[in-house]
Amino acid sequence: MKKKTDVVIIGGGVVGTSIAYNLAKNGVTDVVVVERDTLSCGSTGRCAGGVRQQWSEPSNVRLARASIDIFKRFREEMGRDIGLVEGGYLLCAHTDEEAERFKETVAMQREVGADVRIVTPEEMRDITPYLNADGMILGAYCPDDCHGDPFQTTQGYAENAKRLGVDIELHTEVTAIKKKGRRATAVVTNRGEIECNWVVNAAGGYSAEVGAMAGVDIPTKSYRHQIAVTEPIRRIQEPLIVDFCVNIYFCQTAHGSFLAGYGDDTEKPGHNVRSTWQFLQEISRRLTALVPALRDISVVRQWAGLYNMSPDAQPILGKVSDEVENFICAVGFSGHGFMLAPITGVLMAELITYGETRTLPIDGLSIKRFEGGVRSAEANVV
Amino acid sequence: MIETEILVIGGGPAGLCAAVEAAEHGAKVLLLDDKDVLGGQLIKQTHRFFGSQQQYAGVRGIDIAGILIRNAEKFGVELMPGATVTAIYDDGVVLAAAADRTIKIRPEKMVVATGAYENTLAFPNCDLPGVYGAGAVQTLMNVNGVAPGERVLMVGAGNIGLIVTYQLLQAGIRVAAIVEAADKVGGYYVHANKIRRLGVPILLRHTVKYALGKDGVEGAVIVRLDDKFRPVTGTERALDVDTICLAVGLTPLTELLWNAGCEMKYVSQLGGHVAWHDEDMRTSRGDIYVAGDASGIEEASSAMIEGKVAGLNAAYMLKRDTGLTSEVREERLKNYHDQLYRLRRGPFGEKARVGKSVLTGAPMPAAGPIESTPHSDATFSKGARVVIECEQNIPCNPCEATCPHGAITVGDDIVNYPVLDPARCNACGICVVNCPGLALFVINRDYSETETEIMLPYEFLPLPNKGDRVDAFDRKGNFACRATVSRVIKSKKFDRTALVSLVVEDKYADVVRSFRVNGGQKTERTEKAAGDVPDDMDTVICVCEDVTRRQIEEAIDRDGARSIDEIKRLLRCGMGPCQGKTCQRLIMQILSRKLNRNIEEFKPQTYRGPMKPVPLGLLAKANNEEKD
Ligand SMILES: Cc1cc2nc3c(=O)[nH]c(=O)nc-3n(C[C@H](O)[C@H](O)[C@H](O)COP(=O)(O)OP(=O)(O)OC[C@H]3O[C@@H](n4cnc5c(N)ncnc54)[C@H](O)[C@@H]3O)c2cc1C
Ligand SMILES: Cc1cc2nc3c(=O)[nH]c(=O)nc-3n(C[C@H](O)[C@H](O)[C@H](O)COP(=O)(O)OP(=O)(O)OC[C@H]3O[C@@H](n4cnc5c(N)ncnc54)[C@H](O)[C@@H]3O)c2cc1C
Ligand code: SF4
Ligand code: SF4
Repeated sequence: MKKKTDVVIIGGGVVGTSIAYNLAKNGVTDVVVVERDTLSCGSTGRCAGGVRQQWSEPSNVRLARASIDIFKRFREEMGRDIGLVEGGYLLCAHTDEEAERFKETVAMQREVGADVRIVTPEEMRDITPYLNADGMILGAYCPDDCHGDPFQTTQGYAENAKRLGVDIELHTEVTAIKKKGRRATAVVTNRGEIECNWVVNAAGGYSAEVGAMAGVDIPTKSYRHQIAVTEPIRRIQEPLIVDFCVNIYFCQTAHGSFLAGYGDDTEKPGHNVRSTWQFLQEISRRLTALVPALRDISVVRQWAGLYNMSPDAQPILGKVSDEVENFICAVGFSGHGFMLAPITGVLMAELITYGETRTLPIDGLSIKRFEGGVRSAEANVV
Repeated sequence: MIETEILVIGGGPAGLCAAVEAAEHGAKVLLLDDKDVLGGQLIKQTHRFFGSQQQYAGVRGIDIAGILIRNAEKFGVELMPGATVTAIYDDGVVLAAAADRTIKIRPEKMVVATGAYENTLAFPNCDLPGVYGAGAVQTLMNVNGVAPGERVLMVGAGNIGLIVTYQLLQAGIRVAAIVEAADKVGGYYVHANKIRRLGVPILLRHTVKYALGKDGVEGAVIVRLDDKFRPVTGTERALDVDTICLAVGLTPLTELLWNAGCEMKYVSQLGGHVAWHDEDMRTSRGDIYVAGDASGIEEASSAMIEGKVAGLNAAYMLKRDTGLTSEVREERLKNYHDQLYRLRRGPFGEKARVGKSVLTGAPMPAAGPIESTPHSDATFSKGARVVIECEQNIPCNPCEATCPHGAITVGDDIVNYPVLDPARCNACGICVVNCPGLALFVINRDYSETETEIMLPYEFLPLPNKGDRVDAFDRKGNFACRATVSRVIKSKKFDRTALVSLVVEDKYADVVRSFRVNGGQKTERTEKAAGDVPDDMDTVICVCEDVTRRQIEEAIDRDGARSIDEIKRLLRCGMGPCQGKTCQRLIMQILSRKLNRNIEEFKPQTYRGPMKPVPLGLLAKANNEEKD
């Protein structure tokens, strides 16, 4: 392991590896990614891999759109198949109130350039014939949305980063961050210290803990979200379907299995990622109610991961404190860190390489936005 | 939600004994097993068991199962076959799935006695139909009554390989050979001898290199190994077989224990990872006990005693006072530990002895001196008596227990050699039918001036008739002479073993040990020409997801994967319905070889429930019922 480097990235999830790759692409190749376990072992490896533009906050829509372009080019640029299913996203509305909200956000999303439209229950059945659309008033459908394999994506970033000269140190846990004046000078790990010019916090569910190591208070909390996967079957569903009322999202992966999950709003924050039987039963009920044809299909595994939540369910990007000016954060991704990772990597790399972002502005996602309370939270979180 | 005091998971000998012991001491016990028939491995075993009389030695495995089930019923154990435990959750709730419903149980204590699963071997074409595990072959033959094939190559000369070979021969199936990578037979010599004298060669330092065939096995290429287990090029031989049966060891089935968060440890002597447990069979999760093969690969005899230890302690630790006093517990435990100690004393108990002490860190009990007396020989020239051809310190004593005249002594130490007191033996032959090793023969030197009568145990059909002329064979299965059948004794009391007496010339008294009716089980070995392994022939490692050795090696070399979990994420191997039972060990072997690290350094994949696929509809139904 290097004793000295330019940039240390804490976290070998999709966000950390994406930042590493983009830095190297910009010519900043003296980079070390430190991961306490293995690549994708955190939220990334536990996520559903959904990628959508249908957000209530314009900034999220913009970021997601930029990411989608990268996902669709991924195979070409990175030489790795990430099992992208370009089947769109379908959001379901059950109440008039929800339907109204959908109409408003779809208008906004279209303004930002997303190809989203309102669909009737009949159209919903055309899009996905096995959906039980009874009681649904309308849907919001974006055929451009997609879902992919988070392991392969992370692996793609990691191997290309390595090819360009980045070091990835697995089984290396950061235990402290050393500071001098207003600068972080080194990260301390269980395998020794690395002196560096930049420290990037991409620690997912542990972002607040890593922040604390640098003496920075990051207002993120982690919440358990569980998920279950079935045996593979022939393709019967293209889009990833989200139903806020029922509280469920589900998709059929490239491999043919169904992934379905939800988070329990009543749970307290923490780092528990153990599974429960209550979830297993409840997800089965919700999924078979919406897709009755799945009744005889078997669940083969269940697991849980963390949503790292900021107060407004949007990421916190960039410098987080004037006290540590070379400490960069890319945290608080809620349930959309996989889809935002490609663009996040580009932006954070630009910030470090050029001192500013060039592709998109990120001022609205600075930690400063919480001064004086939360103004506008992302509503489309499931 | 079913509330019970003790839940036993697994209805093999260990689980049944745990359940009986706990119920006997007043506990409310529920036992679940995923099979429709209780008994675990026992129901496939048509041979007489080893061990001591306390563990029903000399009784056929399948009949032991019956005895244990009746005991469980007698003590009021609630038995629930056909229900698979799919996960143990942190709140202590156990989820199980039956064909038409899911079941949730909240027990105070649990005994996990899930047994073991078979190891597989990876070689090119190992995914062809016709390559079976020994367990599958046993189930086909002994449970379903179906022949797996006509000509079999057996891989592995441990007890399972030897016993299954014998059972194949009994079913009239030919066994071309047994190949064994080690330089000696791993199983009991008495089992090996049974097979050798039937003419099946045991090829030591040999393995299967690849299977021939397109849509099914059409042959097997075997190869000799050097002392570092590397194949010696040029020694390939092709055997004309349509079935390859793998009997290459067992691994404790511990997925539920991993899932439950028990502290696990790799102990090679116990067959792989097992849950750490103390002498009381208690794991690091105090509410979970283990017993039997799941706690380390051993035998049914020790599985039963471990089950009793686990059941007794689980009952003793219940919140409710069941009336089990500490004195009774102490006394029983002492007795059980003593039995375990005696079973594990001989050379075959060494693995368990060492393994359990590695696991707990407790000092290893000394093996103690083992008496050895040369076994009785057949060269006496007058009179009639039994000869004992049992030449290893195996835990077994039915010969002693069944002799009505006290002529054979094994003693308290069950691994001692059986010793004959010739003066007491009246040549009745009772011990001959009861010896599970078929290692006893009655020799009558006084049959006539020039002839000797040899009484043999015989477990094949059809039986010969008195007066028949048959081919007699020596201990290696070579033709010795022609012989005349002088007596055939069948009796209900003898279970399915017959006694057949042959008359041979005196000089064959110490030679003839088997015979065949019309050359019946003689296996002709037609050998095919061996070819080189074709270049494009890859080896399937994960059958569920069709992942090959080459892909796994690439994941290690190209993608830098260093653990099972990483390989799984990249290639999906182990994500299929078997949850890695087939491939995991093979992947560990590939990792260990490629990275030059010890196999125990690799953690198995993260086990996530449900351990067995459960239909969404059943889970949804349970949920709806609870809500109503
Ligand atoms: C059930 C579920 C479903 C989801 N579905 C979606 C979805 O459909 N679409 C979507 O876009 N997002 C989804 N998400 C969210 C997404 O998974 C996350 O936002 C994203 O993976 C975050 O990536 P990351 O790299 O920041 O974090 P992680 O993947 O958690 O990576 C952080 C890494 O940092 C390491 N680390 C932490 N502390 C230290 C330390 N001190 N030293 C060294 N290493 C450390 C961790 O081990 C971890 O590997 C889902 C999440 C869950 C839980
Ligand atoms: C060919 C052969 C010959 C043998 N000969 C002898 C011999 O002569 N003498 C001797 O002492 N031993 C012998 N043995 C060994 C003996 O059979 C085993 O050691 C013994 O059966 C182990 O008992 P057990 O109860 O631990 O496991 P098992 O007998 O394997 O029983 C475990 C049970 O648990 C069930 N189960 C597993 N997972 C679950 C789950 N999730 N939910 C519900 N149920 C579950 C299994 O289906 C099974 O029924 C032989 C074994 C074989 C294969
Ligand atoms: S032949 Fe009869 S008397 Fe002799 S040892 Fe056997 S059982 Fe005893
Ligand atoms: S001779 Fe006795 S100890 Fe040996 S196998 Fe037979 S019954 Fe067992």
